[in-house]
Amino acid sequence: MRSRPRPIAVILSLLLVGFLVAVTWRATAQEDAKAGPAEAAEPAQKKEQPEWEKNVDKFFGDYLVSPFMKVLFFDFWTSRWLFPEVVPEVKCPKCGTKFNTIETWGDSPSRVEMCPECGEGKIVTTKGTKVPMIVFWLLIGAIFFTLRMGFINFRAFRHAIRLIRGDYDNPEETGEVSHFQALASALSATIGLGNIAGVAIAVGTGGPGAIFWMIVAGLLGMSSKFAECSLSQMYRDVAPDGTISGGPMHYLREGLKDLSTKLGPLGSVLAVLFALLCIGGSFGGGCTFQIVQSLGAVREGAPWLDKYPWIYGVVMAVMVGIVIIGGIRRIAATAEKIVPLMCIVYVATTIYILIVNYAQIGDAFRAIFAGAFTPVGIKGGILGVMVVGIRRASFSNEAGIGSAAIAHAAAKTEEPIREGIVASLGPFIDTVIICTMTGLAIIITGVAGSHPGLVTENRGAALTVEAFRTVNPWFPYILYVAVVLFAYSTMISWSYYGERCWSHLFGRRTAIAYKLLFLVFIVLGSVVTATKILDFSDLMILAMAFPNILGVMMLSGKIKEKLDDYWGRYKSGEMQPYRK
Amino acid sequence: MNWLPRKTVVVPIDFSEDSFTAMDVAGEMVDEPSGLHVVHVLPVLEPQDPGVIWNQVDNESRSRHAADAMQKELAARGHEGVQVAIRFGNPGHEIAHYAEEVGAELIVASSHGRSGLSHLLIGSVAERIVRWAKCPVLVLKK
Repeated sequence: MRSRPRPIAVILSLLLVGFLVAVTWRATAQEDAKAGPAEAAEPAQKKEQPEWEKNVDKFFGDYLVSPFMKVLFFDFWTSRWLFPEVVPEVKCPKCGTKFNTIETWGDSPSRVEMCPECGEGKIVTTKGTKVPMIVFWLLIGAIFFTLRMGFINFRAFRHAIRLIRGDYDNPEETGEVSHFQALASALSATIGLGNIAGVAIAVGTGGPGAIFWMIVAGLLGMSSKFAECSLSQMYRDVAPDGTISGGPMHYLREGLKDLSTKLGPLGSVLAVLFALLCIGGSFGGGCTFQIVQSLGAVREGAPWLDKYPWIYGVVMAVMVGIVIIGGIRRIAATAEKIVPLMCIVYVATTIYILIVNYAQIGDAFRAIFAGAFTPVGIKGGILGVMVVGIRRASFSNEAGIGSAAIAHAAAKTEEPIREGIVASLGPFIDTVIICTMTGLAIIITGVAGSHPGLVTENRGAALTVEAFRTVNPWFPYILYVAVVLFAYSTMISWSYYGERCWSHLFGRRTAIAYKLLFLVFIVLGSVVTATKILDFSDLMILAMAFPNILGVMMLSGKIKEKLDDYWGRYKSGEMQPYRK
Repeated sequence: MNWLPRKTVVVPIDFSEDSFTAMDVAGEMVDEPSGLHVVHVLPVLEPQDPGVIWNQVDNESRSRHAADAMQKELAARGHEGVQVAIRFGNPGHEIAHYAEEVGAELIVASSHGRSGLSHLLIGSVAERIVRWAKCPVLVLKK
């Protein structure tokens, strides 16, 4: 490794940080002039926006984001025929008679609330439930892979545990890292604010039932993760120096070409599309979302950040910058290695919260199951809850998204299926364990109901802080440490995914441009509102599932072939553990 | 420039077929095989690479692997007794630098002949060798 960073890189990063400080200083100064609370920050910024910025903003909105949204969040016209919520009996305000409402379908769903006794009432027009195409696509993909691979998510579970324990690790095989190390690297990218803030947002908007659907999506997602990571091992590139590069941009192109020469061009298109979306995703969910949500939590403990949120952004940008531009390896390595430990501390803390509130555990589970099938007062009814649950689960565990396949390609093995099985543990740890624990803590402490303001502002991490505070005034501090560390390690890992995709498209020489952009987005994340970032992040990360799931589905026959061969050898005892 | 056989000729190899063709051309221009210096430039690994994070991959191991692979490949093509060097960093810069170090009289490089957008973005290593080298450079165009 080079002993010291290139001078040009240092100068550029210093210039950038200086520029960012100047820009954000100006923006916050304008906010201060208005002296409004946090909610007023956005209108204040808008007011001061110069004409050219507005034009750029409008151009992006009209020609880039909204066409994208129309396709990705296309709802199959479900908003016209799916009722937003199940309304129980209504009591007439005039005569007090209880009666059932009548639902009608027009251009948009309406509910007739007319009292049969006195005729008092009105017709309520509501926007129906939207089932975004991308959520549908992720679910279809996960179900398809679960069935096609014969419930690999359940039947390989015990084998997966033995694999990460290192029983089958042969140091002579091709690759860079062990099964456990590859899984830990992939998890450092997936375990982030999605597990802390995302879950709180899910419970806030979808009710307790969202947790049920998150767990379902997590269990099914294990199969998607298995399929994509097996493929990434099958079509990885091994350089003469022994280093590995792989991921969807490799297997989409090589795999489809391998399937049939006619599919070659399609594979290339999907690979480029994936790489572009992954770069976008790294700026969204891999960067700004982490910043905006971790800042939301840290603010609770350091109120002075309310006034100068950009300080947090700049500090984080410098911390990330010294690793990705300065090339300081030690910091990145330490942060990523602490992640598994921090997960244990986090889960232990939530278990403590459950123990303290043990009397409510039964009620919490009842609320989760009842809320999953017969939600009351939730926008969108059962479908609405499903959409929220699946969307937040996919955002957190990235199954079907294809990102983790980049990290898993580096595992040291000659058996692609083996790494796929290891990877399938990712959604289990991420969603079924960690997300569920966060969800239970939030439901049991009832913070979603007592802090409606945080729910409407999508400040999920702040909601989790409140849940922790109810048990012990010191608990939020554990969370602050966890949140900052998870955000940091997720950004480091995602900047690697993004950089791989950038280099794949534009060559390594221009990677510095990507890294500088990444730092800009970190600072941006600290000054933009949470809801805007949530939409942007979802859009970019979930969109990666389009090219990825399509390609993996087409290649599922090849995976199945390898899986049957591997499983046959495993079951017959032909394959012996390296270490018994 | 005279056409007498040279003592030291540097050939950058990136393991592509084209670059091995340059070996054949260079072989004719040098008086002894030991005067042929083959150089392969490896990219600097990202600090976030899983192999770097877990301390499994370093420049020493990469250098060893690449040199082994190069010796094997060269032997298979009938080039025995040539010098092999592995460098890290920007290919154009490192190749020119290496040529200076060994006092090369000539660099023979192949050009991939990329054009259009990928030429603009990735550029040509051969072009950069020409820009930075302090000795004559022979670029073999496809």
